Amino acid sequence: MMTSLYQHFPIFSIMVLFLGAFLIVLFGNVKPLRHAIALLAVTASLGFLIALVKPVMLNGEIIAYWMGARAPAGGYAIGIALEVDALSLFFGLLIATAVFVSCVYSIQYMRFDDNVGQYYTLFLMLAGGVMGLVLSGDLFNMFIMVEILTFAAVALTAFRNTAKGALEAAFKYLVVGCMGSTCILTGTIMLYAQAHTLNFAQLSAFIPGHMNTATVVAFALLYIGFSTKAFIVPFHPLAADAHGAAPASISVLISGVLTKSGIYGIIRLSYFLFQTMNLGTMQFILVFMGSVSMFVCVTMALAQHDFKRLLAFHSISQIGYVLTAVGLCTAMGVSSGLYHAMNHTLFKGLLFLAAGAVLQQTGTTDLGKLGGLSKKMPWTTALFLVGAFSISGIPPFNGFASKWMVYQSIYYKAVESGNIGFVFVTIIALVTSVLTLASFVKVSQSVFFGRLPKEYENVTEVPWGMRLAMSLFAILCVLTGLFPNVVTTYLTQPAANAVFNVANYINAMLGSGYAESVMGAAAPAAQAVTYVEVGLWQPVSWLLLLIIALLAVTIVAIAGKYDSVSESAAPADSKYDLFFGGEESVYSQVGGEDLFWGFKHNWRGYFNFMHELHSGIVNDYALWAVVALALVTLYMLIVF
Amino acid sequence: MFKKLIAESMGKSPWLFHINAGSCNGCDIELVSVLTPRYDAERLGFKLAGSPRHADIVVVTGPVTTQSLPRVLRAISQVPEPRCIVTMGSCPQSGNVFKGSYSVAGPLSKYVHVDVDVAGCAPKPQAVIDGLALATKILKEKREAK
Amino acid sequence: MSIVMSALQYLGYILIFPGFLFCFLAGLLLCGIDRKLVAKMQKRVGPPILQPFYDFFKLCGKETIIPAAASSKTVFLMAPLVGLASLVVLQLFIPVFNFTAFSGMADIIVILYLLLIPALANILGGAASGSPYAGVGLSREMVTIIACELPLVLVLLSVGKAVGSATGEGLTFSFSSIMAYQAAHGSLILKASMIPAAVAMLMVIPGETGSHPFDAAEAETEICEGLLAEYSGPPLGIFKLSHAIKMLTMTSLFVALFLGGIGGGIESLVALAGLSGAAAGGVSVLLEAIVLFLLCVVLTVVCISFVHAVTARLKIEQIFKFYWTVASGLALISLVLAWYGL
Repeated sequence: MMTSLYQHFPIFSIMVLFLGAFLIVLFGNVKPLRHAIALLAVTASLGFLIALVKPVMLNGEIIAYWMGARAPAGGYAIGIALEVDALSLFFGLLIATAVFVSCVYSIQYMRFDDNVGQYYTLFLMLAGGVMGLVLSGDLFNMFIMVEILTFAAVALTAFRNTAKGALEAAFKYLVVGCMGSTCILTGTIMLYAQAHTLNFAQLSAFIPGHMNTATVVAFALLYIGFSTKAFIVPFHPLAADAHGAAPASISVLISGVLTKSGIYGIIRLSYFLFQTMNLGTMQFILVFMGSVSMFVCVTMALAQHDFKRLLAFHSISQIGYVLTAVGLCTAMGVSSGLYHAMNHTLFKGLLFLAAGAVLQQTGTTDLGKLGGLSKKMPWTTALFLVGAFSISGIPPFNGFASKWMVYQSIYYKAVESGNIGFVFVTIIALVTSVLTLASFVKVSQSVFFGRLPKEYENVTEVPWGMRLAMSLFAILCVLTGLFPNVVTTYLTQPAANAVFNVANYINAMLGSGYAESVMGAAAPAAQAVTYVEVGLWQPVSWLLLLIIALLAVTIVAIAGKYDSVSESAAPADSKYDLFFGGEESVYSQVGGEDLFWGFKHNWRGYFNFMHELHSGIVNDYALWAVVALALVTLYMLIVF
Repeated sequence: MFKKLIAESMGKSPWLFHINAGSCNGCDIELVSVLTPRYDAERLGFKLAGSPRHADIVVVTGPVTTQSLPRVLRAISQVPEPRCIVTMGSCPQSGNVFKGSYSVAGPLSKYVHVDVDVAGCAPKPQAVIDGLALATKILKEKREAK
Repeated sequence: MSIVMSALQYLGYILIFPGFLFCFLAGLLLCGIDRKLVAKMQKRVGPPILQPFYDFFKLCGKETIIPAAASSKTVFLMAPLVGLASLVVLQLFIPVFNFTAFSGMADIIVILYLLLIPALANILGGAASGSPYAGVGLSREMVTIIACELPLVLVLLSVGKAVGSATGEGLTFSFSSIMAYQAAHGSLILKASMIPAAVAMLMVIPGETGSHPFDAAEAETEICEGLLAEYSGPPLGIFKLSHAIKMLTMTSLFVALFLGGIGGGIESLVALAGLSGAAAGGVSVLLEAIVLFLLCVVLTVVCISFVHAVTARLKIEQIFKFYWTVASGLALISLVLAWYGL
């Protein structure tokens, strides 16, 4: 078989990252060199994946790559394989983009830290781990990559180990993360015992016809293992602690990249390996866990008083949307879920970077202590607002486009299946969206608007390198929001097509006809995937109209002497003082975690319960993981 | 035309901000009575504003005690131009029975330009409306002069 | 040539009808009628109907003061403009008098989100002023938005389902099919299953427009009009204008969702009167516009003026409780009924 050059690109894109990590260990003491190596590695990795867009996304090719050209012999795939279909490439691109921007940001963000060489080593190890995970073609390599990324992430969480709670957060992450990894390993072993292979394609051909107690338990173990990586409820407290302690550039990776690897694992498992997604009972697990994550985490976020912890909970809430949409098992659902996954990486990355900028300049992320920073950091504020509007689903930003598709697909699924449960999922999704908006209004008011505290009067804007990184995300947020059709046509729909054409995936790896020969009549036929569009939304036209309207208003306003505004000339002029009932205005900032007490008051029972539940003790969280594992295993044993 | 429209409207939509500068509450109650169904000052466009930023006419009641003086002046200064200052009752005008007290800093006209004085203790609602109507006329003139 | 013509036509939509000029006139007129009627209900003479116009022009002639503590002057000054522009653009997507300037560009779920933008502009403008009153107002405004969102979502979902199952599409979110269905089968409010949803929607209108008794966010007597506490001059006027336009938006949304298809009756009435041809078309369009505007007025009277005159301001947690229990409960009944095809 002739191999084109681009068939080597997947392994290159993983290799450059690990190679960069090792080179930085060697030359990391030289400051410019380590930045150059890190940037070069991430850029090369991104470049290799972009070069794959044409063959994989547009031509629908699936790249099956055997390391050392050890193709399967005697019907058993022994060699190490990479298999890149549109789904893998989609996640690979997300990861490479997030890693690239985070790396650009790190250069100036980490400039006050010690041991930055180690930071970059771990950073690239983490990036390489996730990249390897999504491009890998067999289960055992996936497990190895999970281990690499988990340990790199744990170490990076505690990188600023002088900060309060960093070690504790890392420890919690380590404990529950290792439980997850163990679940994945155990599941892998059980599958190997059953199928005598670890190759994804071969497993996908073998397992659906040989479902027995062992494979079902293995499925439950793997499912829970990847759920811990995605931090969905009940594994969410870890994410909050890890994000709160980790440097912002790492939070971007944890939320934008690590959670995606969990989602990727769940999709691979349930759509490919076990092919159970067409069962209502399986859809129930994903949709249920997704909607619970959506709602629980958004309410948890509403009660947070730390900027980064709040973002962390939102991160899981958005992952809930992704999981719910993916769990619908409709083409539109998967496509919109992936779209939202992509948008989540972009806007959540932007928000974490903005939080990092605030932390860098003020030294705190406590919502109760900050305020009025837009006066000193206008760029960060503007970029933060782009991220905040995106995540809250304000048109025309990307969060709206994807959330709107998610609602449509859930509601359409409800009508299609006649199951009223999905209607309530739609309602939860819509309400979660407005609660997301509420908590970002809270952040805007508590951090960027309102009054500037005295001690932050000398705060300055962040350096241009950090602004550049944030701007990259912001531009992507706007573009993907304005052109949803481009994104769906070229990125998410090819990926969704891949999800619904498992036979292609198997055959690309093991030769055409393999799936049919192993699975017989049960082989999944290549499906013509149709996308049902229910609603209407044309963001570009809307934006044009808004711009024309805004121009009209502005012209009228300026013509009508709107410009004759008066500003304070002397600082002590009482005319420009805030109205305080006649008193001299004093520093008074309305903000902090309890801003929306009118809402929380009505839900006080729920909030108190949640407060009690999230005890912060790692034993409890480990217990939750065990309980979740037991319940999921039990459920799966009953239904399959 | 636009300017004329604005000047015309300036006389038809006066919003009041009421400051109590140590009043005995008599005038305050009378001011509220002006907005009741019986006298209904809203038919002339009068409305009580919540914040001095929204107001056109500042109504001051009470003899302007030393405690309240800086607060009154600050609140008045926060009203955007063009604005009118109306004193209501005899107290802000002359000090009334409190004149000469150690704690009275009035009359108000010592500190700011007062456009209209409505005398009486307390003034009749009719008188208040009359005074306010006069103030709106002054407001309109101020705008036209601009 | 035709490009120029259609560009002019679109510009006409934006600037004249149903864009700025229409919104300005109709919104402020509704507001004036509302104030007059509240006065009448309280046995007062009340302000002239044109009072909101006077207020607006007066505010245009006042000074704009930017407080020294304002955290962002740009946001402070741009927020009212963005709010107004987004509201006017929103109006282009809602059928006004059975006429939609840009149908097929946004469905009702999009409308739900576009409705958030003016409120958000208000919130951010207030937040940027730095006033603590604005902070309290912001908190209450946001809770009111959360409160209204649930019943509104339920109403929209039930309308989408009811129309969708009746037309056989399964569900629909597009205005044009909702309007077409109503033109063919009569208004949705005539369906028994939709009545609770319509009532819930009527309850949402005062909350969305921030009028009594749901105006805790703009309580002028306790928190100095909250978000607007530091605004003066033209920006304040623009906020007041947006507030007036929102009454028009919400009432015309109600008319489009529940009272559509009334125009058909008028056409046949005109035909009965013996008119035909272009004259009949003109007359019926005019009559239709008048009737539908009167409907908006009636709705305003029912849900805003009357409620305003007889109620006192609720506390914010009571507002929330009311919407998430009473209004949502009603809308949920409709949703369940629509779900089972009633």
